[in-house]
Amino acid sequence: MAILSTLEVCLEDGFVYAILAMGFYITFSILDFPDLSVEGTVLTGGVTCAVLAEMGVNPYVAMILAFVIGCLAGSVTGLLHVKLGIRPLLSGILVSTGLITVNLVAAVVGNGGSFSGDGALSNVTIARSSPTIFRVFPFTLLPETVAQVNLRKLVSFFVIALIVKLLLDAYLKTKSGLLLFATGDNAQFTTMLAKDPGSSKILGLALGNGLAALSGALIAQSRGNANQGMGLGMIVIGIASVIIGLSVFGKLRFMKPTTMVILGSVIYQACLGVASILGVPSAYNKLIMALLFTAALVLSGRLGRKKQEA
Amino acid sequence: MLELQDITKKFMKGTPDETTLFDHFCFSVQKGDFVSVVGSNGSGKTTMLNLICGTYQPDEGKVLFEGKDISRLPEFKRAAFIGRVFQDPKAGTCSDLTILENMALADNKNKPFGLGRGVNKKRMDYYRSLLENCNMGMENRLQTKVGALSGGQRQALALVIANMTELKLLILDEHTAALDPKSSERIMQLTDRLIRESGITALMVTHNLRFAIEYGNRLVMMHQGQVVLDKAGEDKKNASVDDLLTVFNSISIESGN
Ligand SMILES: Nc1ncnc2c1ncn2[C@@H]1O[C@H](COP(=O)(O)OP(=O)(O)O)[C@@H](O)[C@H]1O
Ligand SMILES: [Mg+2]
Repeated sequence: MAILSTLEVCLEDGFVYAILAMGFYITFSILDFPDLSVEGTVLTGGVTCAVLAEMGVNPYVAMILAFVIGCLAGSVTGLLHVKLGIRPLLSGILVSTGLITVNLVAAVVGNGGSFSGDGALSNVTIARSSPTIFRVFPFTLLPETVAQVNLRKLVSFFVIALIVKLLLDAYLKTKSGLLLFATGDNAQFTTMLAKDPGSSKILGLALGNGLAALSGALIAQSRGNANQGMGLGMIVIGIASVIIGLSVFGKLRFMKPTTMVILGSVIYQACLGVASILGVPSAYNKLIMALLFTAALVLSGRLGRKKQEA
Repeated sequence: MLELQDITKKFMKGTPDETTLFDHFCFSVQKGDFVSVVGSNGSGKTTMLNLICGTYQPDEGKVLFEGKDISRLPEFKRAAFIGRVFQDPKAGTCSDLTILENMALADNKNKPFGLGRGVNKKRMDYYRSLLENCNMGMENRLQTKVGALSGGQRQALALVIANMTELKLLILDEHTAALDPKSSERIMQLTDRLIRESGITALMVTHNLRFAIEYGNRLVMMHQGQVVLDKAGEDKKNASVDDLLTVFNSISIESGN
């Protein structure tokens, strides 16, 4: 039974973080931009969604708004880099730092309180009566649990990750999507197409952070709250999932990179799951995550390349 | 059509290493000219092209194109009418994309890159016909990633891609220098054919003195940020590699090399 519930958690988390990882696929893999702002945008997405849920807003509307706000945050990272010439890592740190305050204010105001200042934490609880995707059409058509597995949650996460994947696949085939690949590969090429590679980068960062926020919105609904701890480790989870997915399945020509990323995310969560089954205390999780990340980096031979660029 | 007016360009401005490459430099190109530019390393050829394309801004002076001042126009906007092929075959194409995707992107130049389909399969025959002209066996490899092509093939593709949309000026910066002699020869012939067919104005930097003599209708030699030799018409036709070498050597001796 412990194995079954661990498997359930691996898949659930695998699908939710797959959305985040698809965001990193755009920024890290396509644009070659190590985007640290995600640490903040995941929580921003969560807080946005939780606050809106408490206001009684339909969860799908809330998730779309979370995505849009994530896009805005990502554009700021892009603007800092492109217009002010700040390096990628620093641009991300600036935005994620700034978002700490934004999230805090949003959480406090969302909780109906006035901003009291010191010691406040971003923590918004979604009440049991507030609308989440688990409590509105269409997923209410599914039984909540089957054989002690939270089927509704599992299926809804899977379906949403799948929809995101299909939309992203469709987008990447458009002219705009192709230009994103060109910009990441060879910005000079984009320039020669009479397009500003900077705009293309900003667009990619917006999308990547939009997806991170969307993933945060789902996490908040699943846990019933959005809190300060949510952003921690998100960069490692996201990038490691991308690298694992692309390096394990990269040789399969028929498989779309987005599929590889989703599988990478599930594998990553499965590794954590195995550790927990083996009885490794959860306090060690972050260390295991860092080790997995290192293994993934070495596996894909990306280490050397990134080192050169840093 | 193109005029560099009184250009001053310094590097490392405000540091002890400040150098002035161009000091009130003037240069102009007539419509339909095919100019070959030669000169020793560091003479300012690439910098001149960078000033024309907008990669660099001049410290003083103006770049005029068809009478309009384009000095402040960003590089990507100038690319709407200026095409460029670099020495590095990797610079003119995207390695991770297929030949087809590279060409589809180029096909859409000067149009919006929106949510329409990135690759239009109906254009494939047209792309194939362009590649057939290169005679490098690329026409049957549209789905191949460009990273898998040889340097010569990539450079041919870069040339074709640069010429896919109508240009007013083609800039070539030692675009055959990184290739083996045979590929270099073929790329040069392809270049010459493309330029003749479209009648485009072109500016070609080369280290190959024979190419500079054989191709184009005007020949310019640069040295230390100045034009030291400029031959056009009959003068250019009668020039020989030996003449050029003589000038080259006399300059080198003067500057103590
Ligand atoms: N970005 C730059 N920063 C500093 N110096 C530069 C830069 N670009 C060119 N230079 C200097 O300008 C001079 C001319 O360079 P360049 O135009 O590349 O010469 P060429 O193409 O004729 O070999 C060189 O001495 C070079 O050091
Ligand atoms: Mg040069």
